[in-house]
This record gives sequence, structure tokens and C-alpha cells, in this order.
Amino acid sequence: MIAAPAMLSSVLALAQGPLDAQAAPELRWAGLALLLPLVSGVLCLLCGWLKVRSKLPAALTIAALGGAFATILRLQGVVGETPVVINLFDWISWTWGDGSRFHGFTANVDLYVDRLTVFWMLFVTGLGTLIALYASEYMESDVGKGYTRFFGAVSIFLFAMGCLVMGGNLVMLYLGWEGVGLASYLLIGYYFTKPEAVAAAKKAFIVNRIGDLGLALALFLTWQCYGTVEYAALWKAIEAAPASSEWTAQAIPWLLMLGAFGKSAQLPLYVWLPDAMEGPTPVSALIHAATMVTAGVYLIARMFPLFIVNPDALAAVAWVGGLTALLAATIGMAQYDMKRIWAYSTISQLGYMFLGLGVGTTFGASYHVFTHAFFKALLFLTAGAVMHGFAGQLDIRKLSGLLKVPGFRLVSLLAVLGCFWLAAFPFTAAFFSKDEILVSAFTAKDERVHVLGWIGLVVAALTAYYTFRVGFRVFFGPVKYEPGDEHHGHDDHDHAHGGHDANASHGGHAQHGQHAQHGHHGEFHPHGPRWAIRVPLVLIAVGAILAGWPSYRTMLDHDAPNWVKTQVAQSSAYQGAPAGDHATHGGHDAVSHDAAHADHADDAHADHEHLVLGMDAHTAVGRLGSLACIAGILVSLYLHLINRGAADALRRALMGSIATRWIVVGAERKWMVDEFYDWVIRLPLRLVANILSAIDELLLDAGIVNGLGALPAAVGRIFRPLYGGVVQGYAVTMAGGVALVAAWVIWIWLRGAN
Amino acid sequence: MVDMSQTVALLAPEIVLFVASMLVAVLGLSRSTGIRSLVPWVCVAALVGSILALDAVWTPERIQGARLLFPMLGKYGKALIALIGIGLVAVSAGSIDRRYEEAVARGRASFDALRVVRGEYYAFLLLSLTGAMLVMSAPDLIWLFLGLELVSLPTYIMVAVARTGRRSMEAAMKYFFLGALATAVTLYGFAMLYGATGTMQLIAMRDVLAEQAAGPGLSTTALLGTILTVLGLCFKLAAVPMHFYAPDVYEGAPLPVTAFLSFTPKIAGFSALITVLGAVGWSGHAMVDHDGVRIAYEGLPQPVTAVLWMVAALTMVLGNIGGILQTSLKRTLAYSSIANSGYMLVGVIVGPKGGIGAMYLFMLGYGVMTIATFGVLAALERKGEEVDSFESLAGLRAAHPGLAFLLTVSALSLLGVPPLFGALAKIVLVFVAFEGGQASLAAVLLLNTAIGAVYYLRFVGAAVVNPQNAKSQEVVAIPHWWPKTAAIVAGLGLIVLPAFLSRLVDASATTVDGYVDLGEAVASETER
Repeated sequence: MIAAPAMLSSVLALAQGPLDAQAAPELRWAGLALLLPLVSGVLCLLCGWLKVRSKLPAALTIAALGGAFATILRLQGVVGETPVVINLFDWISWTWGDGSRFHGFTANVDLYVDRLTVFWMLFVTGLGTLIALYASEYMESDVGKGYTRFFGAVSIFLFAMGCLVMGGNLVMLYLGWEGVGLASYLLIGYYFTKPEAVAAAKKAFIVNRIGDLGLALALFLTWQCYGTVEYAALWKAIEAAPASSEWTAQAIPWLLMLGAFGKSAQLPLYVWLPDAMEGPTPVSALIHAATMVTAGVYLIARMFPLFIVNPDALAAVAWVGGLTALLAATIGMAQYDMKRIWAYSTISQLGYMFLGLGVGTTFGASYHVFTHAFFKALLFLTAGAVMHGFAGQLDIRKLSGLLKVPGFRLVSLLAVLGCFWLAAFPFTAAFFSKDEILVSAFTAKDERVHVLGWIGLVVAALTAYYTFRVGFRVFFGPVKYEPGDEHHGHDDHDHAHGGHDANASHGGHAQHGQHAQHGHHGEFHPHGPRWAIRVPLVLIAVGAILAGWPSYRTMLDHDAPNWVKTQVAQSSAYQGAPAGDHATHGGHDAVSHDAAHADHADDAHADHEHLVLGMDAHTAVGRLGSLACIAGILVSLYLHLINRGAADALRRALMGSIATRWIVVGAERKWMVDEFYDWVIRLPLRLVANILSAIDELLLDAGIVNGLGALPAAVGRIFRPLYGGVVQGYAVTMAGGVALVAAWVIWIWLRGAN
Repeated sequence: MVDMSQTVALLAPEIVLFVASMLVAVLGLSRSTGIRSLVPWVCVAALVGSILALDAVWTPERIQGARLLFPMLGKYGKALIALIGIGLVAVSAGSIDRRYEEAVARGRASFDALRVVRGEYYAFLLLSLTGAMLVMSAPDLIWLFLGLELVSLPTYIMVAVARTGRRSMEAAMKYFFLGALATAVTLYGFAMLYGATGTMQLIAMRDVLAEQAAGPGLSTTALLGTILTVLGLCFKLAAVPMHFYAPDVYEGAPLPVTAFLSFTPKIAGFSALITVLGAVGWSGHAMVDHDGVRIAYEGLPQPVTAVLWMVAALTMVLGNIGGILQTSLKRTLAYSSIANSGYMLVGVIVGPKGGIGAMYLFMLGYGVMTIATFGVLAALERKGEEVDSFESLAGLRAAHPGLAFLLTVSALSLLGVPPLFGALAKIVLVFVAFEGGQASLAAVLLLNTAIGAVYYLRFVGAAVVNPQNAKSQEVVAIPHWWPKTAAIVAGLGLIVLPAFLSRLVDASATTVDGYVDLGEAVASETER
């Protein structure tokens, strides 16, 4: 029996994987975290076919994501120190030869559930649910075709992200990786009638191709070096031969790094992320700030056993992270579009995370991912609420004093809260996570990365400055605003989405005209958000505050374990082997050393060796970090609230002198990196492409291809007389063929036989 | 001794289909339109019933009693036939008798039991499927021959009966005459095999041939018999040198019959081929060369391998090259059918160590792709006629985006674009060919896949890329949901099945479970 029953049982198995008896029953249902978003994605597709014009797709998506979140919450309760592999169904399982190592390739649809997996999925699904709820109101002017497309893509994104994080092997990670790339492409290009959005979607996709090439090659090399791409078997293989000097084994972390830099927008592949802000704001919050862009951090954390044995690769990660943080912060200081500033701050914060990974504190990096996910989602969503209410206005020069605009009080307060968190104000959650990274940078065993600690402190000051540049300008000061020229999000008009929807009705266009008049006559009334936007905002703000809870608890009680650290420590991200397998500790010198750094209890001991300005690293970083933050905020306070004219005067002064002019122009024009890529990569490529195209047309197409193409046809014509259509002819040819074969066989083989 | 009742019980799936075919023949003559429209449903029910019956009766004890060379072949193979058969019924259901039924419904014609062909058509369809199933459980050559004839004879009539007109008559006559010629060749081969071994029983024949192989090698008569059988069966497979009829007959036959012809005789032919080759054995033969030196080698007897190699390579090349020049969709698909037979022959050459399993896996994919492609074409019509030119397909995307998508999926799957199922089945086949030491054939296969792109991509180009023209604007969907449903299910199957690849590879590998090769028989002989 084939197909039908097999398929049915496999679909059921998707939700319920077979497990050994002693495993907790909750683990059986881990597959739901993947299945539910997939189902809602398919249902959204159906809604599209059935031309549903209600908020049903949003309800489906929110319900599915909520269900996935609940599944993960249950998993958090039961997952232990040892990782569990849950087989959903067998997919690829091939062996050849004797089936030993290197004579087989297995990539089944497995889930690899350890505490790191659950930790990551917790905020992915949790924030996903809240942001989907937010989007149900934010996108409501598109109800109909676009609405369905949007939520379908969000469901696909969560499904793919689940594959990426929960997959039990690199093939599933890769599929998830491509899946989130696809969802990201679809959502950046959501307003596909807008040329900028299409260009941005393409740019994101193409830049990510470069990174994905690295990931694909790393996958091949991993199989070649270790004979498996399944995590469980891979850790064993690495344990057996930790430091291979083969160039292929050495290349794996570098290639993985390339993949991570693409997805997580690091130097030199960061250029796609700012443009990705063309997508709807909930997407910017969910995909391009909180979750997808942290996939690179997850990749390196998950594959940390491969990095630990390669200090050069780790140092490179640290340097790329540190420099990206600095570069993005300087660009962020000189931008005027609120969403773009937050985009550059995302790149900068991701740089911190990679710095953390590079100096060996996967805990610090993961902790920063966690805190950042909340406050950055909060900042984007408040920016979205402002955009929603002010007709797409995001220019910080044209918005002021929103705190006093009716209906925007809550949004403004939450945005300012987010600013404090992003600036890593003392005793906020981000303060602790950033602290963890910088302390590790100062105390790392590798001398080459110590200077990155100082760079990190400078970036902290810059971050505080540009964050509050937005905060003070937009939310404080005198009330003054100009509406933007877009009108999406004007739900009070209740009209079709004329500007962006290619299929807009005539009614939609008429409304558009009316609306434009509104704007010109200064009758614009900003409208505040309703509950579906307010509730997620408040909940995410609460999450941002509570994200610091693990550290508060440790502050109060030094013996209390930091929850995030427990989560990360009991996974492959920490020890080079799954937690609980204590036998491996002795084998990994470098590992236990790095592990010690992240451990508060051992910090005091470790820090004595690394004095910073005569203090132990922990105290020094705490004080210097606070100082940097407060200094940045004070400068911002003066330039952007107390005396706004001074900022313009400063810019004029800097522009006036030829010696300092480059600073302003460079930062405002994003250090010309896009232009640089245009000249160095795109232009030569285009030239080569043109030359090749000419060669192709003149030589290949005309000569070889057409010739080759004509060859089979010509050969076909030779045989054509045989297919004349006369049955006697066919009979003779067939009988002749049989006779010919028989004669051939007898002539060659049977001549001498009996 | 063979327990007769057990053997009969094993035939439950065939019996279900046979009874249903009689029932259908009667129902199709009913005066009531409602009862006549029940006919396809009865066919589908019978096919589902035969799958269930298969599952129920296929127990180890019964198989033991039946003394089959490939005891487990029927389990996978018959389920495959019934499953694809359901799709073939669905492809037929919209078009067979439709004109006449419409005329009756509108009162333009009165019902005439002599003019309605629905009953006969479905009865013959089920009988032909029954024959294909019988081939899979043949214990001896006579059974095998009768099974093969039961596959072919109904198809000759189906070509003629389903559409009135000179071209289908011509196609039917051609098919019948050339089929008779090929059958004669097969029968000649069977006679020589009997002459060489003195038995019709396949297992006994294997044992006799094993004795010969252990000595100086197979006798000339046995070798020539095998080769003539192979060549005769090539007609069923539409393989060189018996492929000439395929383009003419496929083009002349009505579209659903073309779909039927490109699957049912093929699976029956391949099953018969491996049954006969199974008696000869893949594991080790020897030849005495001109100087009287005994040379041992692996695989089938060398002349048989050489013939199969040539047949496979030529079938692939001529099939794909022939496909390039065509403008008729059905002719193109005929050449595609020829080429696909060549691919599957690679699996036959490799033999029971993976090859046959890969062949049946590919057969599953080929069946699903056939249903998807023909389902789309059967769901369309132009001025009441079948759609049979690339020109008429132009711009299908604009008029029928769903059908255009399905056609694209099936064409890309036939071409072998991952991750569609056709590609993965082909990759498994290539993999097995390399494993089995047939690297050169694998190379020919890959090269031919590239040539095939020329005409498979023409389907995609016509349906998706080209703009509508005057001719294609007249193409409309037929008012029946059967073919469309078949195309949708099959097309989605091509997308979904790759997820179950591992399971399907295992399932298709069970076809050779329990087969004892000649070499192993020799070994056990010497032990005794």
C-alpha cells in the first residue's frame, strides 16, 4: 500500500511525533508550533481564493501564532537539560556502500529541542502573536486582497522561522532560512506598486543570496568533514575530532559567518536592512528588528562548537560586530526618517550581539537578542502608530511634541520608554545585556578584541545621543506637525486603499482626491490608535521591562541563577556539547574558559586579571556605560530640546569648515557605502554582463546554441521518413529492427557457442 | 502443491475489477441519464475496492502458496495501478460520450443504446487494468501472455470506440496490426524459452537456467528467447525498435485514451519484462568465448545487457529528439512517453538491487505526471474539439491561471526540476544507475534530460509566457469537474509527494522482496 494511508499518517505525525516512553507527553506536541502557522498560512491562501473581505485572515493568524506560543510555553515547562530530538516524519534517509559514516545522508523532518531552541521560540512566537494583533488594526485599510496576502506571508514567516530554530539538522535550518528570506521578500515588497518597495525587496533578496551561498557551502562542507548534518550526531562527531586542521573544516565557521552576516545585516552585507523599511511597519518590527535578523546570531550560537575551536573566526566575528555597531551608529545620528534611524540602530545593536558572540559570551549575545527584541519592537510599533495617525509622516523635523497631542499620550510615553531601553539607561534590561557583552570584550582571553570594548562604549554614547535625538524632537517640545502625503492607515475614512492597491476601485481614487484636499486646507486631524494597537504596545512594553528581570533577580540575590543564562548554558551554544553531558568539559579548555566569563559567580575571580582603568572590568563597564549613556542623553537634551537652533548651528558650523565637512556629509549620505557598492561591484558586473551578453548574442546564440539546438532537430529530420504513417512501413521497420538486433547478438556472442 | 483456493483469493483485486467491468457495461446502456452518469463512480469505487481487497488478501501464507517469482511485486504494483487508474477514469469522465449525452439532454437526439459507448469504454478500461494486475501475479508464461493480451485487446477497441472519426479508426487499426506483430515476437521468445528449459513455470525455469548458468552459461535458445521476449515487450513500453506506432496512435486516439495508453501498457510491459528477466537472473553469468575460455561477469547475461543497453539509450535519444519537432501536444507527449520508458529501462538493467524499486518509484511519478498533464488538457476544449497544439495553449495563464499552473508543474516535473516529484524520482534512478555500475547510462539519461527541456519547456512557455492569440482565445474549460479535479490532485501530489520521498523509496523497494535471484538459487543448490 502506498501514498494515501502513508500520507494521512504522516500528516497526523506532523502534529504528534513518536517519542520514547520516558519523555514528557508535552514534547509530542512540539510539532504544533510549526504546524499551526503552516495551517493558518494555507487557510489565508484559501481566503485569498475565496476573496474573503473581512478580518478573518488576521484572526486565523493570531489564533495560530497564539497556539504556537502556548505550545512553546508548555515546552519551556518540560524541556530538561538534555536536548530532545523529536522525529516528525522521515524525509531523506539514504545510505550507500556499507552505510557507515560518510556513506549516508540523513535529513529527516526532526525537531531539536533544547533550552536554546525554546528560549528563541518563546520571544519569536510571543512577539509574533502581539505584532499580528497590532497589524490587524494597522493594516485594516487594506482589508481584502492585500490583508490576506499580508497575513499569509506573516504565517509563512513564523512557520519558516520555526523550521529554522527548531529544525533538527542543517537542511531544515537552511530551508527555514530561505523561507524567512522569502517571507521577508514578500513583505518588503508588500506595496508592490511602489517602485522603492520593489527595489528594496529585490535588494534584500539579492544581498541575502551572497550570505546564503556561504551557508549552503558550509552545509556541504559540514557533511564532508563530519559526515552528518544532524545536530545530535554532529556534536558527537566534533567531540571525537574537535580541531581538524583540514582547510575544509577550517572554512566552515567562516562560511557560516558569511550567512549570518547576510541575514543579520552586518558589514559588509548590511545595506539591505535600511531599505527594508519600505515594508509595512509591523513587518519592520517583527521581521526586520525582533526576530528574523537575529537568525544569524542563532546560527552562530547553535553552531558554536564549530567556532570555539577556531579563535581566528571568533575574533573576526567580534571585529565585524564591533565595527558594524560603530558604523551604523554614526549613520543613525544623521538620518531624519524615524524608521530608518531605528533600522540603523537595529544594525548597530546586532553588531553588539555579534561582538558578544565573537568574545565568547553566547549568553550575553542571546540576552541582548532577547531584550532588544522587546524594546526594538516597541520602538517600531510606536513609530508605526505615529505613521498610522499622521498619514505616513516619519520625518523627525516635521513632528514635534506628540506627548501633548490627544490620543498619542500613551504611544509617546511608551516610545520614550523604548528610547531609555535602547539607550541602555542604567538598570534597564538592555543595560544589563550590553554590560555582559562589554565585560566579556574587556576580559576576553584573546587580546585582539580588547579594544572592541572601548569601541562598544563609544557606540553606547552615540546610541544614547541618536535615540534621544528622535525622542526629544518627536515627543517633547512644542506641538507641531505636518501630515505625510500617504493616506494608508486612515481608517476613519473607511475607503479602499487607493494609493497602493493596483486594483483600487474608482471610489478609492475619488477618496484619494478628497483626502489630498483635506491635507492642503490644513484640516488634518491625527487620529489615535484603538485597542488592537494599544494592547500589544502595552504588553510589549511590559515585556521590555520584564526582560531585565533575570538580572534584577541576580542583583538582589547573588546566588540566584540568571534565567537566560540557564537557558543558553544548557544547549550547544555554550559548551561545545549538549548540556548535561559533563564528560565533555575537560576536553574543551577554551570552552570552559569562556564559560567562566559569563558566569557571575566566577566573574570576580576572572576580572582581577583584567583591570580596566584600575577597577575590575565589571564595575568599570557598569560605570563607564552609565556615563556614556547619560552624556549622550544630555548632549541630545541640549541640542534637540532645550536649544534646537544649536543643532542646526552646529551642523552649519561643521559644514562650513572643509576639515569637518566630510563628517556631516558622510554620515548623512550613509558613508556612501551604497554608492561604493554600485561603483565597485554593480558597475563592473554590469560591464562584464554587457560584454558577455554581446558575446552570447554574437557568438554563442548565433553559432553554438542555435547550431546545437538545430542539431537534434536535424537528426530528428533524418529519422522522419521512418514515421511516414503507413502501417506497412512501420511493420517492416519494427520487424527489421528485431531482425537486426537478433543478427547482432548472434554475430557477436553466439557464433562460437554450442 | 499449489492450493487453488489460495491462488484465487490472491486474485481478489482482479475479481473486483472484473465484476465491476461487467456491471459498468450494463449500467452504461441504461435509458436513465442518472444511472449512466453513475458509471465513472462505479469505476472509482471498484478501483478503491480493489486496493482494499489487495490489502486484505495479500498475506504471507497465500503468497507462499502462489509460487511467484516476485512475490511482493503485486502489493505495490497493483495498488499503483489502481491508484493511477482512478486518475485515468477521472481524466476520461469529462469527455467520453459527452457530445452525445449533451445532444440527448437537449433533446436534439433520442437515446439509442447502440450509439452510446460509455458502458463499453469503462468496461474495457477496467478490463485492461485487470490485465495489468494479472501480469504482476503471473506464475508461468501462459498466464503472463494472457495477462498481456488482456491489457492490449481492450485498448485497441478503446482507441476506436471513444471517438468516431477516421483518424481514431486509423490509429486503432495501426495499433492493432503492429500490436499483433509485436505479440508474435513475444510469443516466439516465450516458445524458445520453453524449448530451452522444458517448463512454463517461471520458478522452475529459473532453476533450470541456474543449472545452465552454473555450467557453460545459458544456451543459445534461452538467450535468443530472452532477447526476442524483450524486443516484443518493447511494443508495450513504446521503446525502440517497437516505438514507431506511438506518435501516430497517441495522436489519433482520443485524449483520455492517450493518457491511458501512456500508462497502463507501460506498467504491464515493465512488470512482464522484469518477470521474464527475473527467471534469467541479474546475479552473475558466464560465457564461453570463441577460444573456449569461461568468462564470468555480473548482472544479466552479456548479450541481454547489451541489447537492453542499446534499447534504453536509443529509446531515450530518439524519444527526446523526436519530441523537439512536434507541434501536436499529443505527439509531443507520445515522444515524452517513449523517452520516459528509456529512463525506466535503466532501472531494469540495474536489477533488483535498487534498480527495480527505482523504476517503480519513477513509474509512480510518471503516472501522477501523466494524470496531471492529460487532466489539464482534457479539461480544455476549443470549438468542441480537443486542444492539441501549442498554439492553442498560448496565454493559458490569463484565461485559466489554475490550469496553467498545474500544466507548468507537471511539465517541470517531467523535465526534472527539483523539488518536484519527477525530479527526485529521476535523481533516485540516476543514483541507482551509478551504484549499479551503469554510469554511462546514467550519463546518457542526464544528457537526455537536458534535450527533453526543449519540448517540456515549450509547454511552460506556451501556457505562461506567450500572450493569447486568436486561436487560444477560443479555448474554454469543459463543463465537467472530473478532469480538473484529477489534474489538481495529481499536480499537488507532485508538490507534496517529495516530503514522503523516503517512505515511497522504501515502499517501491518492497517490489523485489522475496525474489531469489538465479545466482542465489545456484548458491543454495550447491549447498544442498
